Amino acid sequence: MKGLIADYSGAFDPTFSHGKLAQKTLAKLMKATSEYMRRIDGHWYLSVMEKWGNDEALDCDIKVWERLVTYEMKMLSSLLNIHGDDVVTVMKALQASPWTLTYACDIDVRNNDEAIVTYRNCPTLLALEKEGKGREGLICQELEPRLMAKIAHYFNPSIEVVALKIPPRSGNEDICCQWEFKLNR
Amino acid sequence: MAELADYSGPFDPDFSYDRFTKETLLILIRSHAEYVRRIDGQWYLAVMQECGNDAAFACDAIVWEKLEAYTMKTTSNLLNIHGDDVVTLIKALQANPWSSSYKFNVDLINNDHAIISFINCPTLLALERDGSGREMLICNKLEVRLMELKAHYFNPNMIVTPLKLPPREPNSEICCQWELKVERNR
Repeated sequence: MKGLIADYSGAFDPTFSHGKLAQKTLAKLMKATSEYMRRIDGHWYLSVMEKWGNDEALDCDIKVWERLVTYEMKMLSSLLNIHGDDVVTVMKALQASPWTLTYACDIDVRNNDEAIVTYRNCPTLLALEKEGKGREGLICQELEPRLMAKIAHYFNPSIEVVALKIPPRSGNEDICCQWEFKLNR
Repeated sequence: MAELADYSGPFDPDFSYDRFTKETLLILIRSHAEYVRRIDGQWYLAVMQECGNDAAFACDAIVWEKLEAYTMKTTSNLLNIHGDDVVTLIKALQANPWSSSYKFNVDLINNDHAIISFINCPTLLALERDGSGREMLICNKLEVRLMELKAHYFNPNMIVTPLKLPPREPNSEICCQWELKVERNR
């Protein structure tokens, strides 16, 4: 396409919109936006935790994400036409989630009703490990299983989600977490 | 490689956003901007429900006091938007992750002086619908501080003057209006 710009170093354009940017730049912006989402969420958690403690922060976190996971799945499935009631549909939605841009994850689809998802890199877990207070015990072991189930159940309430591996992990080389999604028909 | 308009086809183990057409990427960018707004809004509401509005407002201020500079830094680095004048700030406002959710007009008087009028603000619409007058705190206190933080990221001498702030007159098109100015010794 003609006239697309790689950045916005040029003159002020009163009609600027993201549509004027090259596709590569848009992809970079999307990645930055997903990191931005993670930071907004993280800063809110920390500010509540610093003022009122971790229990209060976790309660708020649960409330926020139980609402937003459904919003996200609805948005993705309608925007990207991802519909179905099997596990592979859930996998497509996970791949397309803006969060996935900040994580490294492998998806092993065994059949349309069974898959294993392995997170190899998770900046949130890295931050929690660096902090060293053991908060991953709550966030990864309590909140995340609920959210994974919520994602799956948006498409089919009968999909079972089992955490195969969850922090704390044995070391930096270890995977972050691993999940089995299964639908018994 | 064929470009996809959506992801209705089979599972692709090598899926990435690069597979989508530009039109789809733009739709996703707009939806991500709305998602960003909702993450922030849902946190505010959750804290307000648990601890009250004063607590939620205090946290909101802490969060954005930290994140506003990050927002400007990321946007300006990614898109190579650098400078110390008002027009540089306006470019960053046009391109930052929130921009797709809001509509604003810019009257650029010169590179060091502009009037910016927000004519659509989904946050204000939600606050007006809520009816508890929270816009008095959020728009009149927090947003003034945040506009200064954005401006001062590029130039600590930039003067930010709110010309119009909520509550707005019935049928007023303008949500808020700001004068941005740098006075230079010549």
